[in-house]
Amino acid sequence: MSATAEQTASPAELAVATLPDSAKAEIAEIRKRYPTAQAALLPALHIAQRNFDGWLAEPVIAAVAAELDLPVSTVYGVVTFYDLYHLKPVGRHRIRVCNNLSCQLRGAEEILEAMREELGVGEDEVTDDGRCSYIHFECLGSCDTAPMMMVDDDYHENLTPTSAREIVRGLK
Amino acid sequence: MPKVTINDRTVEVEPGTNLVEAAAKVGVQVPHYCYHPRLSIVGQCRMCMVEVEMNGRKMPKLQAGCSTPVADGMVVRTDTPEVHEAQKGMMEFLLINHPLDCPICDQAGECGLQDYSFKHGVAYSRFEFEDKRTYPGRERIPLGANVLLNMNRCIQCTRCVRFTQEIAGTSEIGFFNRGSHAEIGVFPGRELNNPLATCVVDVCPVGALTSTRFRFAERVFNLDKKPSICTGCDAGCNITIEHRRGKIRRYKPRTNPEVNDFWMCDDGRASWEKYRDRPRLTSPRVKDRATTWKEALDAVYSRVRSRSAEGATAILGSGQLTTEEAYLFGQLANQIGTPHRSVAVDPFPERRIPNPQGGVIGREAAPNRRGAELAGLAERAGAFTADELLNGDAASRCATLVVTDGDFGAAAWDEAAVARLREASFLIVFSWADSPLTRAADIALPIATHAEKDGSFVNSQHRAQRFRAAFPAPGQVRGGVEVLSDLLARFDSEWAGLSPAAVFDRMAGEVPELIGLTFGALPPTGLELPQVFAAAGAEG
Amino acid sequence: MAFEKTLTQNVGNPDALTVAGYKKNGGYTALEAALKMEPEAITQAVKDSGLRGRGGAGFPAGLKWSFIPKIDKPKYLVCNADESEPGTFKDRLLMEYDPHQLIEGCAICCRAVGANTTYIYIRGEYTKAARILEDAIREAYQAGILGDSVMGSGWKLDMYVHMGAGAYICGEETGMLESLEGKRGQPRVKPPFPAVVGAFGCPTVINNVETLCNVPHILNRGAAWFKAIGTDERNTGPKLYAVSGHVERPGTYELPIGVSFDELLEVCGGMYQGGTLKAFIPGGASAPILKASESHLKMDFDTLAKAGSMLGSAAVIVMDETTCMVRAAARLAKFFAHESCGQCTPCREGTNWMELILHRIEAGHGHPNDADLLYSVSKNVGGNSLCALGDAAIGPVRSLVEKFRDEIEQHIRERACPVPHRRYFAAAA
Repeated sequence: MSATAEQTASPAELAVATLPDSAKAEIAEIRKRYPTAQAALLPALHIAQRNFDGWLAEPVIAAVAAELDLPVSTVYGVVTFYDLYHLKPVGRHRIRVCNNLSCQLRGAEEILEAMREELGVGEDEVTDDGRCSYIHFECLGSCDTAPMMMVDDDYHENLTPTSAREIVRGLK
Repeated sequence: MPKVTINDRTVEVEPGTNLVEAAAKVGVQVPHYCYHPRLSIVGQCRMCMVEVEMNGRKMPKLQAGCSTPVADGMVVRTDTPEVHEAQKGMMEFLLINHPLDCPICDQAGECGLQDYSFKHGVAYSRFEFEDKRTYPGRERIPLGANVLLNMNRCIQCTRCVRFTQEIAGTSEIGFFNRGSHAEIGVFPGRELNNPLATCVVDVCPVGALTSTRFRFAERVFNLDKKPSICTGCDAGCNITIEHRRGKIRRYKPRTNPEVNDFWMCDDGRASWEKYRDRPRLTSPRVKDRATTWKEALDAVYSRVRSRSAEGATAILGSGQLTTEEAYLFGQLANQIGTPHRSVAVDPFPERRIPNPQGGVIGREAAPNRRGAELAGLAERAGAFTADELLNGDAASRCATLVVTDGDFGAAAWDEAAVARLREASFLIVFSWADSPLTRAADIALPIATHAEKDGSFVNSQHRAQRFRAAFPAPGQVRGGVEVLSDLLARFDSEWAGLSPAAVFDRMAGEVPELIGLTFGALPPTGLELPQVFAAAGAEG
Repeated sequence: MAFEKTLTQNVGNPDALTVAGYKKNGGYTALEAALKMEPEAITQAVKDSGLRGRGGAGFPAGLKWSFIPKIDKPKYLVCNADESEPGTFKDRLLMEYDPHQLIEGCAICCRAVGANTTYIYIRGEYTKAARILEDAIREAYQAGILGDSVMGSGWKLDMYVHMGAGAYICGEETGMLESLEGKRGQPRVKPPFPAVVGAFGCPTVINNVETLCNVPHILNRGAAWFKAIGTDERNTGPKLYAVSGHVERPGTYELPIGVSFDELLEVCGGMYQGGTLKAFIPGGASAPILKASESHLKMDFDTLAKAGSMLGSAAVIVMDETTCMVRAAARLAKFFAHESCGQCTPCREGTNWMELILHRIEAGHGHPNDADLLYSVSKNVGGNSLCALGDAAIGPVRSLVEKFRDEIEQHIRERACPVPHRRYFAAAA
C-alpha cells in the first residue's frame, strides 16, 4: 500500500486570497437578484478580476468559490470557459483587436501589425512597463466601423494603423 | 406504459426510459461513452445516435439515444447505414488525437475505444497532421493517492466529473477550458481523495484514468474474474475478484442496485492486499510443529471434548467468518457445552456507498458480524464477552480458548493483546494468516480466505449474500466448513462431509431468520433477512 | 428606398435614453395597454403578427410564448443580448440608442407569459450597452414602470442585466441558461425544452433583443400593420440588416423583411471603392456563403433557406473580388473551433480539424483530396452535434466546397494562395 514517488507530493494548503469588503458587499448585493448563489458567479468573477489587477490568480478563484460556497473545481471550470477571465497577468490596459471576418475584410491584420510594432511584445504578453497587453479577438459586434479594437471598456472604431498607434500612445 | 419498437422488436418500458436503456431491454446494444445509468445525461459523446420515427414520420436528424425518452409508438432503428456512418464518424473524431499507446495502457483489453473501433471504426486515419493534440506534462498526473490521469487518452466524456459531483458529492474533478482544449482535472493544489475516488477509474471508458494500485500489475486480458463480496467492512459490496492463478490483482465493484450499486470504496479495493503482504499459514501446527490435519484435529478434539477443571472453554468468533463457519463453531460450542461464545469485530470509519435507495453503510471492519451472531455465536448473558477476552482477564480463566480467525482484527497483530489471549491454558487458532496470534497458539489450523471458499455473509442491511470460491486454496489449506465438519464428526458422525451449501440448508431449518431458504436459491443480489430478534443487545 | 423606421426611430435621438424622452415618441403606451389586456390576447396579437425570432432561428415568437405552461412555478424571460454572431451588431444599436424600447418589450412579454423576472443576458464585451441599459432600468424603477407595481397595476416585475464573459456559445439558448446559472455555457440536451424547464428549472422564454423590440409596435399599431410588411405571411415585419465588409456604407439598416440583396447593397452605397461583388454571407458567420450570382435573392427566412443558406441574424458580410474565399472560410472555421464549448465529440474535434485543413490549404500545403475530406468531415459534424453550433460551423465550410471548389483546387495545385493579400492602408510614414 505504499505510495509511489510520483503521488506522494502532498500539496500545501490551498492559498485563498482575501476579497476586499467592498467586493464582498457588491457580490452580496448581486446575489439577491438570483434564486441560486451560483448564478452570481459570473458577476462575482468580474468583480474579483476588477479588484485584483485584471486577472484571476488561483487564490482569488479560491476566494470567489468560498464566497459563494461553490466547489473550486466548478469555479475553475467556469473561469477557463470564458474569454474575458484571465489566468495570467495582463497589462493595465487591455487591448482587444477584432480580426473576425468583417474586420479582416477592412484591414484588421494591419491594425494587429501596428500593435505588435508599437508595443514591441507578442500577443497576450505584457509590455515591460506593465502598461499594455493586446490580443486578437473574435467579433466584437462593431463590424460597420471596421477595423476596430476595444481598449479596456471602450470601443475605438474606423481605425487606421496610425490612429490605432495614437490611441495606444495616449494610454497611461 | 409506452411501447417502443427497436429493430423490429417491440417492448413496453417505463415512461421516461431513454432509448439506450429501452434497446438494452430487447438485447440491442447501443454504443455509448458518456452515458452511465447513474449519472446525469449530457449527450456529449454522440456515439448512441439512432434513427427515430414517430407517427410514421422519420425525424430529420439522428437522435442521441441517451437523451431521447421513449414515446408511445416510437419506432427506432440502430442498424441503418446512416447510424453506422455516424458511429464511424464519431469513432474517427475520438481517435484522431488519441495516442496509439495501447501496448503500455492499463486499459487495453477493457477499453471502450478498442472495443468500439473494432466494431464501428475504420482501420486507417485521415488525420494527416504532424502533431496530434497532446497535453505536455499531463500524461501522468496523480489526481490523488489512487488515481492517475493521462490527459492524452481522455475523450472528454465527463463521467468522472459527474461522478465526483453527483455520486461522491465532493466535486474534486472539473471540466476546464473550451473546444478542442477542453480537459478534465483537479483545481491546482486540490486532490481527488474522497473515499470512493477510484470509482472514477471504473467509470472512465478509456485509459485516461487508471488506478495507481493496479498500475502495470497485470494485463487485464490475463485476469480471471469471479464474483464475490468485499470483506473490508459490513457494507457487503458486491465485487469481482480479478486474479491470475490465485494471485489477486484487484477488486472491482460488481453492480448490485440493492447494495453498492456500481460503486465501492478505496479501502475495500485495497482490502485484498493483506493476502499479498502478510505471511500465510500453510500447514496445521501443533506446538510449533507442522503436522497433518488428522493429527491436528485429533489434538483439538481431545482438548475440547472433556470439561477441564482448569477453567472454561471459550470460543472467540470473528466477523470474518462465513455464516456457515460461524454456525459450525456454534455447534462446536454446543457439543462442548460452553456458553462462552462471542464475535470480535473492529470498528471502521463509517462510510456510505451510494445506491438508489440512499446507500449502504459500513461501520465495522469485517463483513459478517451479523451472520456470525445469528448463526449461533452471539454473546450470552453471564458468559465471557469478546471485550473481556481481548481487554480483560477472561482469557486467563480459560482452560481452552478457540480463536476462530487468526486475523479477526488488529488485536491479532498486537503483541500485548496476543499476550492477554495467550493467558488461556491452551490456545487453538484457526487462521488464513500466520499472525502473532497463530504463532502463539498451541494448535494453529490453516483456513481458506474468503476468496478460496464458498459461503455467505450478512451485511449491515441484514442482507444475506452468497459467494463462491474464486480459486482453490493452496497446499494444505482447507475451507473452514470442511475442517469443522471433520472436527464435529468426531463428536457425531452426522456432521461428516458437509459442504457450505449443506450447512446453510441445515442452518435454515433452525435459525429463524433463515427459515425457508436454501443456499442455492439465494438470489444473486442477496436477500434481506427478517430481523426476528431485533436483538437490541446484539446490535449495540 | 423609403421605409418608415419603427425599431430604429429613436436612433440618433439622445432624449430616448430617458423615460420622458422615450414617452414623447409614444413609449410605454403599449405596456400600459398590455396591462389592461388578457395575457392570452397579448400572445395572440404577437402570433397574429407573424413575428419570427430575430436572433437566428426564426421561430415564431407568439408560438414560443404559448408553450409556457400555466403552472404554479416562477417563470422567467431571458432576453438574449449575447449578440456574438460574427457580422452582427444590430442589437447593440437597439440597446445603446433605445434601451426603453427593449425594457417595454420585455415587460410586455413577461405580462403575456406570467413571468415576474427578466434577465437581460448581454455579452460581456458590451459594457457601454450594459451601462446604458442599467441606467434605463434604474430610471424605469424610479418611474414605477418596473418594480412592485408596474405602472400602478399591482403587478410585479423585476429586470436585471446579466453580463456574460466572452463565449459565443452562450447565444445558444440553453448555453445561455447555463451561463446565467453561473456555469460553463454548455448547451443542454433537449428535451426538456426551456419553455418547460429553463432558467433555475422553471419555465422560461428566451427572445432576442430585436424580437422583443418589435413587440411594443405590434401592440401599438396592430398585428395587421406588422403583417403587411414583408415578403409573405411567413416573413413579416421590419428587419434590421447589419451590413459589413466590402460596401461603401456599412451599417444597420431597417428595411422590410425580404428586401433583396441587390436592393440592400444599393442602400449601402454599393461596393467598397467600386469593387465587384464576389460573394456574400446573408445571415452571420453560420450562414452558408452565397455567390454573386445569387444577389437577387430576397433576404427573408424562407427564400434564403430554399437557397441553401439562411437569414440567421441578418448580418450581411459582403466580399469583393479581392477576397480569398479559402482565407475567409478559414477565418470563420477558426472562430467556430475557438468557440466550440468542447462537450460534444463532433463539434470539439470536427471544428478543429476543419480549421486545420483550411489553414493547410490556405498556406499552400493542401493535400490533393482536401476538398473531399473537408466535405466529409463537415458531414460528420453536421446533424450529429449536441447543439446548433456544429451545424453552424459547417455552413461556411460546406458552401466553400460546394461553390468555390475551383479556388480550393487552385490553392492545392499551385501550392500557394492565388489571391494576393490585400493591404488596406498605406504604409505608415
